[in-house]
Amino acid sequence: MSPSRIATGVFLLVVSGWFSVAAQAQSTKKPAASTIPARPEQLVFPPLQFEVPERARFRHELPGGVVAYVVEDRSLPLVKVQALFRTGAFRERPEEHGIARLLERMLRNGGAGDLDPRAFDEEVDFLAARIAVQASDTFVAASLDTLSTVLPRALDLFVAMLREPRFDRGRLAVEKQVLLEELRQRTDDAAEVGRREWRYLLFGEEHFSTRELTAEALERFDRDQLVAFHRRTLGRQGLILAISGDVETKSILAELSRRLEGFDAVDVAPWPPAGPQWQPVPGIYYAEKDIPQGKAFLGHLGTRWTDAADPELYALVVMNDILGGGGFTSRLTRRIRSDEGLAYRAGSVFGIGPFWSGEFQVGFDSKSETVMRATQIVLEEIDRLRREPPSREEVELVQRALVDAFPRRFDSAAVMARTFAEDERLGRPFDYWNRYRERLLAVTPEAVQQVATKYLHPERLILLFVGRWEEIARGDAAGRASLERIRGDRKVEALPSRDPLTLRPKP
Amino acid sequence: MTMGTRRMQRFARAFPLLLLGGCFGALGGLGSPAWAEAPSVRVPVEEFTLGNGMKFLLVRRPELSTVSAGWVAKVGSAHERPGLTGVAHFFEHMMFKGTSTLGTRDPIRDRQIIEEQEALQERIRAQYARQRERYRLGEIDDPFDPANRTPELVELEAQFEKLVEEQRRLMVKDEFDRIYRQAGATGLNATTNPDSTIYFITVPANKLELWFWMESERLRDPVFREFYAERDVVQEERRMRVESTPTGRFDEQLNAMFWTAHPYKWDTIGWMSDLKTLSLADAQEFFSTFYAPGNLTAALVGNFDPAQVRQLAERYFGRLPAGKRKVPEVVTLEEKQLAEKRMNAVCDCATQVAMGFHTVPFRHRDSYALDIVAGLLNGPTGRLRQRLVLEERLASRAAASQEDLRWAGSFWVQAEAQGGVSLDRLEEALWRELERLKSEPVPARELEKVKNQVTATALRNLENPFFLMFQLLFYEGWGSWSYLNEWPERTAAVTAEEVQRVVERYFQPENRTVVRYERKMADAPGAAESPGSALGTAQEVVSGGRVES
Repeated sequence: MSPSRIATGVFLLVVSGWFSVAAQAQSTKKPAASTIPARPEQLVFPPLQFEVPERARFRHELPGGVVAYVVEDRSLPLVKVQALFRTGAFRERPEEHGIARLLERMLRNGGAGDLDPRAFDEEVDFLAARIAVQASDTFVAASLDTLSTVLPRALDLFVAMLREPRFDRGRLAVEKQVLLEELRQRTDDAAEVGRREWRYLLFGEEHFSTRELTAEALERFDRDQLVAFHRRTLGRQGLILAISGDVETKSILAELSRRLEGFDAVDVAPWPPAGPQWQPVPGIYYAEKDIPQGKAFLGHLGTRWTDAADPELYALVVMNDILGGGGFTSRLTRRIRSDEGLAYRAGSVFGIGPFWSGEFQVGFDSKSETVMRATQIVLEEIDRLRREPPSREEVELVQRALVDAFPRRFDSAAVMARTFAEDERLGRPFDYWNRYRERLLAVTPEAVQQVATKYLHPERLILLFVGRWEEIARGDAAGRASLERIRGDRKVEALPSRDPLTLRPKP
Repeated sequence: MTMGTRRMQRFARAFPLLLLGGCFGALGGLGSPAWAEAPSVRVPVEEFTLGNGMKFLLVRRPELSTVSAGWVAKVGSAHERPGLTGVAHFFEHMMFKGTSTLGTRDPIRDRQIIEEQEALQERIRAQYARQRERYRLGEIDDPFDPANRTPELVELEAQFEKLVEEQRRLMVKDEFDRIYRQAGATGLNATTNPDSTIYFITVPANKLELWFWMESERLRDPVFREFYAERDVVQEERRMRVESTPTGRFDEQLNAMFWTAHPYKWDTIGWMSDLKTLSLADAQEFFSTFYAPGNLTAALVGNFDPAQVRQLAERYFGRLPAGKRKVPEVVTLEEKQLAEKRMNAVCDCATQVAMGFHTVPFRHRDSYALDIVAGLLNGPTGRLRQRLVLEERLASRAAASQEDLRWAGSFWVQAEAQGGVSLDRLEEALWRELERLKSEPVPARELEKVKNQVTATALRNLENPFFLMFQLLFYEGWGSWSYLNEWPERTAAVTAEEVQRVVERYFQPENRTVVRYERKMADAPGAAESPGSALGTAQEVVSGGRVES
């Protein structure tokens, strides 16, 4: 490649200035003699000095209760804006259940300001901007991704969508029909069936985090209800902005403050949102699906955090990594996949929820006849973690992996801005990331066993399987495992197949 | 360790339109004035080749704390043959099993055990040959069902398990992964597609030499231990990706029907019966044929000193011997399709129709205009959504995809039915949009809009260093990374007349394959009992002519 061509790549060569990395030691290190060490452990590396960016440096308060994080990065002429609103399913009134999902569609697709849906879409597309809306249980996120050369007009469109959505009636009819088709498909895929039933078993069917839109609600919703929900719940109160890219901080904040002036929701959201009241019932559950694999979801409630300095939180991170969160270095992946070839995917998560308990879940997919064998391994490994501390080597492996990979969490302006915005939303203290590594490094094997004993409960396990139950329960031809061998005194219950439009059990 | 399928590409619309780098020069004319300021960006790649033929591509990003690094072997499932389908992807899995020094405490005994295992497997393979014969004679219904095993086969497999146990006691499990992980490296993985196999990771910038050590070592001295357990893992991957999804198996058979002669006709994951019989010798032969340095290219994007990287490359990868034989080319050319093909399927899935056409391979001069056609049809204001979803309300979703693979290409349009709209109407509407492209020149503003989007996408694709590294390897695997810089310029030059020309040339009824999926009506009397209705029908209709609604 000619030098002149390299020189044209200015956008890749500009160093952005969010933080400094002292990995330049790499470039000053003289190559050793031409000998190659026999083992990789014999390689010597220069230190990587990394300083965690100070969140407070990027934080700004705007009128109306808005908090904005701005991380400049001039290396490419691109800008990203994400707006996190304090609304979502948790703001739905009984007669509005499911409306947040419709809002997600209609906010983006229903036109805005003086532009009807088609004109709005045409202008966004012509600018090559990307505008998206995602409604969740405890937030609605709207995002703009645009070239900085057209930023003012893109911001006009973005803010018009947020403040003055038209919820066009014609487009509403189309979107309702499209959503109806999506509802029709939600029992087609076994993995989706399993995920839904798992949430129901853990959190119940009534909590807003598991509640789903039904066809009858969809049919009932009209433009007036959308307008009312939007007016009532979407506004500056509690709004968090994450802005990154080719912007000048002062100027973008001034632009956004001006555009958002007077944009207030009628109601102030109750915060934090309430958790589910449901008490999970341990047992073995199955949902029939005619597939050659069984999809397994095994676990129970996790926990929630109230104090980010609690050492148990970090011990739980290490514990889960050792059990099934660490890929090939974790016990479940090693035994289920690598040793026995029983599954392509096998792992665990231990959820530490911000507002209510997260979920502890082991998941894998295995051919019907070996599902019980893999389940047996899961039960053994949970028991083992409770009975004996992990080796020091296992704990140190996780610590080194997480600590050395830590800088990646801040490796782009967009990731940084989003991380800080999420910290703000979840109420993490300002020193959370600064202390993260030292807290992780303080975890001992004994601490891992203690949290395993405290937070892993074999007697509370919910074992959910989706697939051909008769084949799954029979176990493998070698007689290593079957339902009878893992059942103990657990109850066994068939889950009903559900009508995809209502999600109610079919008669 | 994943694999890419053409079906995935077709509907996810990931490649190639979204994998575009570089950008046009200044855009003028009909767009908003702001577009005249659109920057010109090319990927600044530094390139060098070692004496053994291995090529390196470097892009510096000094602001990062990491290096995203990877390499591509220019081999995929298109290089396979019947009986060995799936070997490229399976082999990719085996590349994570260690070396003579990584993965075992006793390399000598480890090698001996592998040889003893192979001797037993040879006898087991003979047993399965007999099982297949029994199957052909109708004596058993499944040659691989454990319940059908002969006592001798049971005994041989038990002996084999003992050797596996012995080997496991000597092993340092998954040490390759462990070493990377404890060094803070993330995202160790690989992916196989019909044309290439890509291995990748992100390492802390100060530990880049570790990448050179690990990658060169597994190329220099790989040991394929745990071969048969991993073969089981790949079968589980197939069950998960293909056999347990609503349309997975149908898509696989559609693909097999679409291609007449070309090895693209089998999916990258391979046929199950082939996966069950792959041998260690097959893997070793595959490695020696396709993993010579001259068939490999590495790419690094991140914080490094290029001069030092050259030294490390020479020291570590320079020790790999050059290949002794020429890497075989895929020589089979797809036969010209003589008549429309059709597949009618019934499944637990949305009622939908897809229509595919044979087109052109990667970098063919018509591929750029076909990319524009896909851009015209796709997106919130694309023609398919505007016409089929919003105006006529026939579809709930509709999309197009241009799939120019290394050796041959295809173009697909598809739509899901809205309400009770018949598949005849939906198919007719899709065809009508293609016909409209033939008969009416594309308005200038619409063409400009698509080009604006490509410009922005090109810039966005440079944001993520890992993604940039991946694109370099992906296109290099298909022929040349320089496509990243060529594509925008050549696409910007496409005219409305060229759009009409390619549409007219490729979107012809006799060049068409149509698949229609109809939702299985579970409550319909007899539906579940009838194999014919449950599995649908596949047929080739030996006549041309367009579909009438």
